[in-house]
Amino acid sequence: MNPRSRGQILHALGLIAVLVFTIFPFFWMVSSSFKTQADLLASPPVWLFRPTLANYADVFADQKVIDAVLNSLIVALGSTGLSVILGTPAAFALARYEFRGKSDLWFWFISNRFISPIVLALPIYLLGLQLRILDTHLVLILVYVTFILPIVIWISTDQFRSIPRELEEAARLEGASQFDIFRRIYLPLGLPGIAVSAIFGFIFSWNELLYALVLTRRAVQTAPVVATSFMSGYELPWGKIMATGTVIVLPVTIFALLVSRHMVRGLTMGATK
Amino acid sequence: MSYLKLEGVEKSYGAARIIRGVDIAAEKGEFVVFVGPSGCGKSTLLRMVAGLEEVSGGEIFIDGARVTDLEPAQRKVSMVFQSYALFPHMSVRDNIAFGLKMSRVPKAEIDRQVAEAARILRMEDLLDRKPRQLSGGQRQRVAIGRAIVRHPKLFLFDEPLSNLDAELRAQMRVEIARLHRNLGVTMIYVTHDQVEAMTLADRIVVLRAGQVEQIGSPKDLYERPANTFVAGFIGSPKMNFLSATVTSRNSDRVELAHPSLAAPLSVIRRGGNGAEPAPGDTVTLGLRPEHLGLEAGDSRIELTADLAESLGGATLIYGQTAAGESVTLQTPGWRSLDKSERFAARFDAAQAYVFDKDGRAF
Ligand SMILES: Nc1ncnc2c1ncn2[C@@H]1O[C@H](COP(=O)(O)OP(=O)(O)O)[C@@H](O)[C@H]1O
Ligand SMILES: [Mg+2]
Repeated sequence: MNPRSRGQILHALGLIAVLVFTIFPFFWMVSSSFKTQADLLASPPVWLFRPTLANYADVFADQKVIDAVLNSLIVALGSTGLSVILGTPAAFALARYEFRGKSDLWFWFISNRFISPIVLALPIYLLGLQLRILDTHLVLILVYVTFILPIVIWISTDQFRSIPRELEEAARLEGASQFDIFRRIYLPLGLPGIAVSAIFGFIFSWNELLYALVLTRRAVQTAPVVATSFMSGYELPWGKIMATGTVIVLPVTIFALLVSRHMVRGLTMGATK
Repeated sequence: MSYLKLEGVEKSYGAARIIRGVDIAAEKGEFVVFVGPSGCGKSTLLRMVAGLEEVSGGEIFIDGARVTDLEPAQRKVSMVFQSYALFPHMSVRDNIAFGLKMSRVPKAEIDRQVAEAARILRMEDLLDRKPRQLSGGQRQRVAIGRAIVRHPKLFLFDEPLSNLDAELRAQMRVEIARLHRNLGVTMIYVTHDQVEAMTLADRIVVLRAGQVEQIGSPKDLYERPANTFVAGFIGSPKMNFLSATVTSRNSDRVELAHPSLAAPLSVIRRGGNGAEPAPGDTVTLGLRPEHLGLEAGDSRIELTADLAESLGGATLIYGQTAAGESVTLQTPGWRSLDKSERFAARFDAAQAYVFDKDGRAF
């Protein structure tokens, strides 16, 4: 065997190992969600079993889970949407205009992320209490926007900076207003970056647990909160937990797949040269 | 008043003075070319006319109106960028229609205008493509189409052909000349290529380091360059410059000596504003390669051959004078010369140029 193909084989084996390592928990969750309690507790674990939908029936019969998924959807879409609406014009300004305090503003966006979330949990809880918005979608959306907005701004600014300046100049000569330039040139050409930041934002809100636990009680429990709530008590309903986990992961996966179509680079190709 | 007028236009970036007091006037319907070496400020000047750069000083007038502080769109000018600057996510049709849409022109009128531009530029069948599906020459046409539909007061071109290969460049050059003739519009065209300048321009503005060196018709610049810079820049191959000594001087003639000249050379004044030469002064003698030959001419200069390049129809011969200055001559037909062969280049004294020690023409 020549050294080159041996290298390739080692390379492939390495990749497979990483793949198995990352996919396995996911696989275990999904497969377990189709197992009966007996199969689940079998030792050693069974690989071949008769699949059952009983766990899913259980999950969808539980209004709490359905509400939680809905809550999560509202909060994740709301916070991501708001962040994109607020963040893209900000990114446009940061990418294309010189103004006083620009670098300070930029640093402020980044430095926001230096603080550990737990430090802010109590102040934000008190703020929410004062404003009487605890246990609403609004409080979670607002808090998540403070996390997602910087991401949208960083990524979109970077993306907008890569758009040739001459496109904007050509549009200005043609009589386009600043808003036209933003909407008709920067938004469509920046779509790959905006999509990436939207995916990050959505996944973040969807999975966020700490603030969701602190800021909500009964009315607006999100999916991760409900999933953890199964883990109390004497008996662990593994099948239901796994099925809930699968139901929680599904929307993010679908969302990411949908939006990733726009992530294809090369949209700016053909603009110059 | 001229159609386009620049008065003492200045541009500085911090301490760097990029444009230093430029005065230009152009008439309606003229084809004006800004030419000069890379980095001399041609693009900056053009962008100031367009309104994309603010002026640091001076005034700009278009069609009798002061536009110095107007927004680009209010100046009613169109620009074709070096990179074309087409909107990559829009079809050719939408690219061309963009400006009309921005001005809220009715849909039917837009369609009519786009069809008209497509007809003029012969690209009717490209309208639904995206820019990335077009060749360089086609993109160039779309960029011109986008400029045409708005019926601007001025067409501005910034090195529009520099991204094309040689053949396409020649072809597009002819098309732009034809477009200018057919539309009868005023065009300002920036290039570093003196061939484009000579072939397209009604009026050439030669720029160096942010200053105008000379303004004139191609013929003016060729026959009466104001200085050695213009003389060297206009014409190809480049003019030969030799260092000569003034032996005598009478009214409109000056007589020069050079170690390689067989006899003193008597050159007539061309109407430059150089210093009046006096016997004993060192001056620059300029000889164009195409005026030097091997057969005919009333004057001769002795050279040592370096190399001959045959182009088929003509041969470029590179030689050296006794003082070690290199001289290029262009003669018709095939020639071959041995290295170090001594030969005489002939020319007419009437076609020689003389410049003072600061490079200004006699
Ligand atoms: N934004 C800028 N800041 C500083 N210097 C600039 C800027 N734009 C252009 N320059 C300088 O101005 C000079 C002229 O540039 P330009 O007009 O592009 O030249 P040309 O088009 O003749 O090649 C160059 O030396 C360039 O470095
Ligand atoms: Mg330039």
